[in-house]
Parts: sequence; structure tokens; C-alpha cells
Amino acid sequence: MRCFIERVVTNHDVTTDIKVLIPDAGLRRRMSRVIKSAVTTAIETVGGVEGIASLDGIITATGWGCLADSERFLRNVIVDKEQLLNPTPFIQSTFNTVGGQIALLGHNHCYNVTYVNRSHSFEDALLDAMMRAEDGDSEHMLLGAFDEETPSQRRIMERMGLFRKVACGEGAMFAIVGAKRNERSIAEVSTLAFPAENLSHEKVVAEYATDERTHVIYNNYAKYGLYPTSSAQCFAEAVKLVAEGTPEVVIYNEYFGATPTVIVVRCLS
Amino acid sequence: MAIVVTGVGVVSALGVGVERNLASLREGASGISAHPTLLKTGHRLPVGELAMCNEELHELLAISPREHLSRTALLGILAVREALEGVDRSNPKRIGLVSSTSVGGMDLTEHFFERFIEDEGAGRLRDARMHDCAASTDVIAKYCGIEGYRTTLSTACSSAANAIIIGAKLLKHNIVDMVVVGGSDALSAFTLNGFKSLMILDEKPCRPFDETRAGLNLGEGAGYIVLQREEDASNYICHLAGYANRNDAHHQTASSAEGDGAYMAMADAVAMAGIEPNAVDYINAHGTGTPNNDASESAAFVRLFGQSVPPFSSTKGYTGHTLAAAGGIEAVFSVMALKHGYRYANHNFSEPIAAYNLKPVTQFEEGREVKCVLSNSFGFGGNCSSILFTR
Repeated sequence: MRCFIERVVTNHDVTTDIKVLIPDAGLRRRMSRVIKSAVTTAIETVGGVEGIASLDGIITATGWGCLADSERFLRNVIVDKEQLLNPTPFIQSTFNTVGGQIALLGHNHCYNVTYVNRSHSFEDALLDAMMRAEDGDSEHMLLGAFDEETPSQRRIMERMGLFRKVACGEGAMFAIVGAKRNERSIAEVSTLAFPAENLSHEKVVAEYATDERTHVIYNNYAKYGLYPTSSAQCFAEAVKLVAEGTPEVVIYNEYFGATPTVIVVRCLS
Repeated sequence: MAIVVTGVGVVSALGVGVERNLASLREGASGISAHPTLLKTGHRLPVGELAMCNEELHELLAISPREHLSRTALLGILAVREALEGVDRSNPKRIGLVSSTSVGGMDLTEHFFERFIEDEGAGRLRDARMHDCAASTDVIAKYCGIEGYRTTLSTACSSAANAIIIGAKLLKHNIVDMVVVGGSDALSAFTLNGFKSLMILDEKPCRPFDETRAGLNLGEGAGYIVLQREEDASNYICHLAGYANRNDAHHQTASSAEGDGAYMAMADAVAMAGIEPNAVDYINAHGTGTPNNDASESAAFVRLFGQSVPPFSSTKGYTGHTLAAAGGIEAVFSVMALKHGYRYANHNFSEPIAAYNLKPVTQFEEGREVKCVLSNSFGFGGNCSSILFTR
């Protein structure tokens, strides 16, 4: 099983003015920070709203979902004693808000699904894209991941003792995934694995690297912060490295004692 | 490659277990009560609540209350254990789980947050530990002995239907040999207030597909089915012959008047199974009871089936709308409809929607030739999925 990557964009790469990407001022105002970040990254990835129409699969991933909206609504339920609540944060707290919003902005009726599986969310979404590519269900998909950091979540996780070694993080990443290699392809995903046990750096190299110049991204939480879909940022880094000439990048991701995931991104020969 | 259903498990306001649920459906006894008794809320709104508190669920499952599991996880374990009960687990090497939920551990989070907003150092951390969706999946896998690939989906009210689709894909791609698929959702003040704020809760028992329908009643529960490749199964209940996931792309929370997403999902599921639409013998409709959903779904029925819409009904008048679990619970009902020749009654129906004049099944039917059942699940974000089971 494999698939081809045509473009990767992270929230840090978005240069187009948000007013151009999301022209509806009311919609922009209602959107929470993570929704804005994810939707603008997605639209930048497809080259503007009109690029959404050509997609035949929209697959999103998030470990935590839209935390700020969830928290806002829950706080209102408690503080306002269940009376006269504004539904907007409730609507936007839904995990598939971003995927649904992308479909809605582009009037696209295609396959649309959201994975919410902690540190495996992005890899599970990638697996879905690879299965669809192989089955000929979809040719040109948008695959993305997003998570946000909020003060409450940071505080709760601090109390759990999770940030002793590494800081919390957040981010959004979207990619165009093709079933077949074409003139826009810049990299290939050749392997996606879910090992049953944790692997040392040496073992990752021994088991997954096929070239002596293979670059390994091993648990890069120091760089991107600790959050469930931070491996999507590693994925963007890997695709960019390969597009610039690195023959192969192996991404090893192991989060809080969860079983690890491995993605191998290769250059197009 | 043919995919078959080899096990089913369900828990809902109708009770624990497939037999209990089917008995209530046969008797026409709804699980919807006038107001919640366990859920902490000031709202006196009808809900489909399972009449067992978390402590009782821990006890029923023989799991120590000290484990302090979320209600979503407890309901899920109950249904998954039942689904795997009669299944031959000696042969398949890799058993997977594709679970889904919309609230995750919100019942515990609500508890935590009440204290936390007063003082950020307060609130028991064990109440925050199961907040995310995957927490329930991990716990279900642990207590049901599932060690293969597992994932979690959340596409609002279509979640469990999508879990079924992903499970079938995992079997086709030889990633698992057997997979338990479905969803679980507990009632929470969060969702009850959310739907209340959207003004789509009926203050009376819901009346799906009725001209006077005025909204939905929330419910809770879990529904899971076991899928295998036909060649690996020693025996099976029915085939999973078709499925489709499409997006309505109309509005974040409302369905299009023409039922675009619903129509496309049903049409694609039927096409995948290689049958004509008129071969469908029964549709377990999404039928939430909201004016918008039922009109939109009716429009989609007429678009696909023309003048001869197959016998259909919504079972949400019995269970309430169980959100992410709905597609799982209704998949179990659909599979049992095939097995026993059942068609379920649409509770509280009296007058068809004037614009469509479609009359659902109103009396429980058994001993019918039911060979092909379509199950619909639609959700926020425009997500529309249809699943087709055949003998």
C-alpha cells in the first residue's frame, strides 16, 4: 500500500490573508482559534476555496478536538445554570467541525471522516487515505490533522505531570494525497506501520531505513511540543526534506506509553 | 471480498442485551421516560436513559468501581462483550476494534469541571482522565480482550455507521481478521443542553416522520457488530453488502431540503451491493423526529425510490437519539430484522408529513421476507452514511 503526496502545508506556512481564505466575516468571527487555524491551513493547501471542489476525500484527525469551544459551552452550562445558552460553541465542539466546514465551503459531497484516536489519529487517517487510494475509491484527497492548546487543558495536564520533560504544543497540517503519481507529486508514503512495542532509534533504522542517507525523525516533541497529532508536523517536515533531495525520511512517533507509529516518506525515483 | 456479520451486541434505554431490546420493540414499549432520573440536570425533558447508574454498570461488568470508568466506556464494554459472546474467537489471529463516540468521557469531565472552574487546583484528576474519545476505545479493548488494530471515529450522529465502513476496509486490506465496529455515547448535561440550545429537543416524546413532530429526544447506549471475511467465518448472520459515506455540504447542523447527502449515501450503498433500489425490503431510517431531518430524509427516499418507497421506520421513538451510538444500535436492529424477518414499528406516528405522504411501519411485523435492509445515519457537519445488509 502506498500513496503520493502533492503538497503539505502547516499552520506556520499559511501566508494568504485569512480574509481571502475565508471571505465570510460572520463565519470568521464565529470560528474558534483551532477551527480558523485548521480551515485556513486546509484552504491554503488546496490553493483557495475553489480548490475544494476537486477533492474526492476529506479525512481529518484530531486528538483533542475543539477544546476551547467544548470548554466554553461546558462553562456556560455550569455558570448560567443551563439557561439561555448560545449554541455556537456547542456546534463547533463537534470533532468533525473542521471536516464539515471544508466540505461546506467547497460544496463538496465527497467521502468525509474524522479520526479521534489520540496519538494515532493522524496515522489512522493516513491509513484510511492509503486504503482508499489502493481501492480506487479516491484519487485526490485532503488529509489533515489539528489540535489546540488551551490554558485549562495545559493546567490539567500539568497536574497530571505530563509536561515534566517537554512542553505542550499545538498545530495544524494538511496534505494533498494522490492515489497515483502525477506531475504534481513530490513524495511517496511507502510504509505505515503500527509496531506492537516501542523501538529504539537503532532499531527504527534497522527495521525501516532502506538507504544509508535516510533521515530519522524520532519523537520530535521537543521541536513541535507534546500533543496528539504533532506527528503530522513531522510528516510535513519529512515531505519537505524529501522534496529537497533527502532520499528517505522515517518518522517514529511514540506518545505517553501508547504503542508507536512509523511512517516512511520516500523521494520519487 | 464478502464481509459478514457474526455477532451483535446492544444496550439502550430499552435495556441491556439484544433479546431485551428486541422484546421491547416487539411489545411496543418505549424506553423514553418523561425526564432524566440519573443525569444531573434541571431540564425536565424526555430522554432515553438506561435505568442503571455507573456503580451498577461496574458491578454488572464485574469491574471494580475503583477503575472509575466513564459511562460511555461502560456502555461500550457491555455491548462489545455481548457482540463477541457467541463468536468463535479461536481462529482469527488479529481482532480489531473501530469504535466511535461524540461525547467520550464527558459525564466525568462535567463533574471535574464544576470544581475546576472554581479553583484550578481542584477537581479529581481521575474525572478528567477519560475525557477524550479514544479513552473509551482503549478501555473497551482492554476489558474485552481486543489486542489488534484499533481506532476511534467521531463524525457526530453518523459515527458508528462510519466505524462499520472502516471495519470492512480493514478486513479487505488484511489488517485485521475480525473487527468489532460500532459506537457508544452516554447522556450528558453537555449534549442535552447543546441540543436544547439548538431548539431541536421535543418536550414530548418524539414523533419521527409525523406531521406534528417537533424535535428529538436524546438517548444513550451502545451498539456493536462483529465483522469477518466470509471465508474465515464458520457461520454468520448476514452480509454487509454495501456502504457509503457522503456529505450533504449544506449547513453545519441542518440537512438540505432535497436530502442531497442522504440520497447520495443511500444510492451509493445500494449501487455497491449491486442491487436495484426496489430490492430493499426495509429501511431503518435516521428519523430523529426533528422537522428538518425527517423532511430531508423523506425527500431523499422519494428521490431514490420514487413512488414505491420500501417499508421504513425510525426506532428512535423507542431508544431516543443515541448520537454516535445510533448507527451501531440501529445496525444491530437491522441485522436482527434480516435474521428474524422483523420490521420495527415507528413509535408515536399518526399523521404523514403532508409534503411527502409517506407512512412508516406502525405495527411490529415478524415472519416477513426481509432480505435486504438499509440503515441510515446522518449527522452534524453534513456527514451522511448508509449501510446495507443482505441475507
